[in-house]
Amino acid sequence: MSLIRTLSSRSPWLYRINAGSCNGCDVELATTACIPRYDVERLGCQYCGSPRHADIVLITGPLTARVKDKVLRLFSEIPDPKVTVAVGICPISGGIFRDSYAVCGPIDQYLPVDVNVPGCPPRPQAILEGVAKAIEIWKSRL
Amino acid sequence: MPESLALLLSVAIFPGGAFALALGLGLKGIDRRVAARLQRRVGPPLLQPFFDLIKLSRKKTMVPDAACRPLFLALPAVGAASMLLAAALVPIANVYLPSPALGNMLVLFYLLVVPGMVLMLAGSASGSPFGAIGFSREMMLMLAYESPIVLVLVAAGLRAGGGDGIVLSLSDIAAYQQAHGAFLLDPAMWPTLLAFAAFLPANLGTVPFDTPEAETEVLEGPLLEYSGAPLGLFKVMSALKAVVVLNLGICLFFPATPDGLLPGLGAHLLKLLPMAAGVTLLRVSMGRMRVDQAFRFFFKWPLALAAAGIAAVALS
Repeated sequence: MSLIRTLSSRSPWLYRINAGSCNGCDVELATTACIPRYDVERLGCQYCGSPRHADIVLITGPLTARVKDKVLRLFSEIPDPKVTVAVGICPISGGIFRDSYAVCGPIDQYLPVDVNVPGCPPRPQAILEGVAKAIEIWKSRL
Repeated sequence: MPESLALLLSVAIFPGGAFALALGLGLKGIDRRVAARLQRRVGPPLLQPFFDLIKLSRKKTMVPDAACRPLFLALPAVGAASMLLAAALVPIANVYLPSPALGNMLVLFYLLVVPGMVLMLAGSASGSPFGAIGFSREMMLMLAYESPIVLVLVAAGLRAGGGDGIVLSLSDIAAYQQAHGAFLLDPAMWPTLLAFAAFLPANLGTVPFDTPEAETEVLEGPLLEYSGAPLGLFKVMSALKAVVVLNLGICLFFPATPDGLLPGLGAHLLKLLPMAAGVTLLRVSMGRMRVDQAFRFFFKWPLALAAAGIAAVALS
């Protein structure tokens, strides 16, 4: 059983949710973390377009009031076992949008967050480390 | 060995079943690795498709409320089963001759249509608008690439018939080439070869013809709502399909292998690698065609080439 678990844990598929982010962290996720230099595919990761294929969820943004219900619904569409990574300072504390009337965060009031990657935006190395930590947590849930 | 047991073994273990699945997943791993290296990346481990499959089998399966549940869950199994059978239908020269009881070229052609049909039905059964777009695109693309492949099969059958009608058995086509030289080196068959080369990426659903499952446009279309084991079965289906179609290409154009089981199999695998690498090279060096562009492309070049191929065979 542990062999199968180890083998399964080498195939974490990533899914990105933008919970009202300014797009800074998304740029870091989409381009910086994907360019040859920081290739996440070597960890077996693969960005997928559908929440149903996801294992590790990367959430960016402070969870604005407008997207809150949609983000929660999207999160419930992701099959178990899954791990959540909050990318950037916004989902962790609200960042520069904290105390705004339009922001519902921090995000861990609504979703179970496993790994925090702070920064505005975080460095690609930090994102990769966050993903590597998330894989460890995910492995224990498989 | 009794006939029925031998049939079962050829479908379940070799050359269909376990062997074809391992080969298909291995080719997929090589494809991803080569693509990564061409983009100056490290790339995933070679066994990545195996890990993906094991992982998918341990994920929860979710069925959308809008989906037609029995159809939604049965389709991936139908697709994988059809390709399992098809893998046992293609001969490997000097290594494996399919039993005539399994069927001939026509059966193989019908089985090759099944994955496309399954994807179309899966897209519409999932109840997702992206699935519906995938459905219509898959249908357009199938209509486009089916006619050239029919003509390719006919041309190969006519050539192997040598002037007295058409040969429908793939084993006989391979045997004819072993006696008279490979079609690859026969100038009358070159237009047919080119038409088959265009059919290959379209049937495998890779760039530039991956429009029905375009990730960045329709989020993998028909596969969007699938999760867990059924998604894994779709991965099995596409891995097996790659093996079937590549084997078919080898059987139709270059079946010659050294005598003996192991050398023959080794030579066959060596022939598979450059074909798979060609598909990968095409995949990383091109953009995606729009579905109307792909449709027009297939009704222009591959169809003309395939028709020219038949004319060349008839005249020579």
